Amino acid sequence: MKKESNKVITKSDLTKLGLRSSLVCLTFNYERMMASGFTYVQVPLLRKIYKNDKEGLKEALADNMEFINTHPNFVGFLTGLLLSLEEAHEERGIIKGIKTALYAPLAGIGDALFWFTLLPIMAGICSSFALEGNIIGPILFALVYLALVVLRIPLTHFGYKLGTKSIETINENAAKISKAAGIVGIMVIGGLIATYISLQLTVTIPLNEGITLDLQTEMLDKIFPNLLAITYVGILYYLLKKKNIKPVLLILGTFIIVLACSYFGIL
Amino acid sequence: MHEITLFQGILLAIMAFIVGMDFYLEVFFWFRPIICGTLTGLILGNLQLGLVCGGAAELAFAGLTPAGGTQPPNPILAGIMAPVLAYSTGVEATEALALALPFSFLMQYVVLMFWSGYSFLMPLMDKSLSELNFKKFNFLSIGSLILVGIVYAIIVFLCAYLAQDVMRNLVGMMPEWLSHGFEVLGGVLPAIGFAMLLKIMLKSWLIPYLIFGFIFATFLPFSNLLPLALTAVGMALIDYYRQDNTVVKGEIDDEEGI
Repeated sequence: MKKESNKVITKSDLTKLGLRSSLVCLTFNYERMMASGFTYVQVPLLRKIYKNDKEGLKEALADNMEFINTHPNFVGFLTGLLLSLEEAHEERGIIKGIKTALYAPLAGIGDALFWFTLLPIMAGICSSFALEGNIIGPILFALVYLALVVLRIPLTHFGYKLGTKSIETINENAAKISKAAGIVGIMVIGGLIATYISLQLTVTIPLNEGITLDLQTEMLDKIFPNLLAITYVGILYYLLKKKNIKPVLLILGTFIIVLACSYFGIL
Repeated sequence: MHEITLFQGILLAIMAFIVGMDFYLEVFFWFRPIICGTLTGLILGNLQLGLVCGGAAELAFAGLTPAGGTQPPNPILAGIMAPVLAYSTGVEATEALALALPFSFLMQYVVLMFWSGYSFLMPLMDKSLSELNFKKFNFLSIGSLILVGIVYAIIVFLCAYLAQDVMRNLVGMMPEWLSHGFEVLGGVLPAIGFAMLLKIMLKSWLIPYLIFGFIFATFLPFSNLLPLALTAVGMALIDYYRQDNTVVKGEIDDEEGI
């Protein structure tokens, strides 16, 4: 089932990958967030791995163009890990499953660590210097964040090593792991749908004098919170899967519907 | 009270070009007010003013983060405009910070429009990759970033040098429904990304797990998805140890893929 693993990724490749991982937010957008940047980061090494396999390259690229949002500091680690699996020509389902299982928790950990812990600390310390007119404030701030950029390089090497070490285990239990990865991936996606999509009606219906019915909080939320979110995903899924509607039309449609609803005060 | 010179305006625009791209990518964190405020002070020839205004703005903006794909009031415009306003009008740092806020909100909406609008690039990028046209893919990737930098440069140049009053009023002129609409779009557009993901990944035997994940995240208040992912790992392990090494029926793909 597996092709003979053929090592093409060198140490300097990994260092470059770690630096390149800083470009993960290229073309960041609401529809698929970091998808194209995540692909951009990996393009040189994917091309190296799938040098003589155009179809394999296309599949790998298409997989990476799927929705992803994680913390930029961990992108080197994640791509290092995933590229070690690509290099070993693991099954696409396993690579995709592992990616989906990891990126959301890494995003949560990264946001908690870097945005909600490090930033307030650094802002507090460095601003107190700056407010006294001491240049040390901004310099210290810039140096700490520069160190975080450099840290992406060893994290990338670590991710790759971790991946290479697990390959044997993965190969022995490929079918079972593929299934397990699918379970974790799809559960996380279910969670992402509930947390990332926010669709709230703002309509209130006047019932009596002074009494109004808030459709969202007093009706929809009582049936099921996030009901609109999952319904909208369901509709889009149906249009994509059964009607073969192009994604660009769905983006355009969403723009028009949301802006119109905002204009009429529905959303 | 000082006039901003054309040369200073251009230098500020160049700086905005760089830190604007840095904010889009979140790399060096030069976009934080403490850095771009200090740099603005340098450009204006008053480092102390830049430090004090930048420090004050940094403290005010420490809690406003773009974590999880939400767009906060723009830290760059606060970091640049606070020292610029203190320099040109002679007000104190705290007052200058308050005066800088409308510019910060203006830029917040501009970035929101980028985040929404760049959704339209995705089908183009899908196509370029399916044709293995990396030139086009790279052009779209890098070009879209440079466009962000250029827009920052233009807006900062207008705000700092050319048309401060006009730009300040622009925020007030933007209709409420439009700015609100773009905020709502940020919450709805990911639905398309998830639907495309499900089109490829969802198999009928996985539907129960999709429902579990959705229900868990809806009713359990946690700050990130780690607990859910661990629960999922637990469920996957149950499944893992129950099956033999033989492939389980129903696992075979019932999808045609992409």
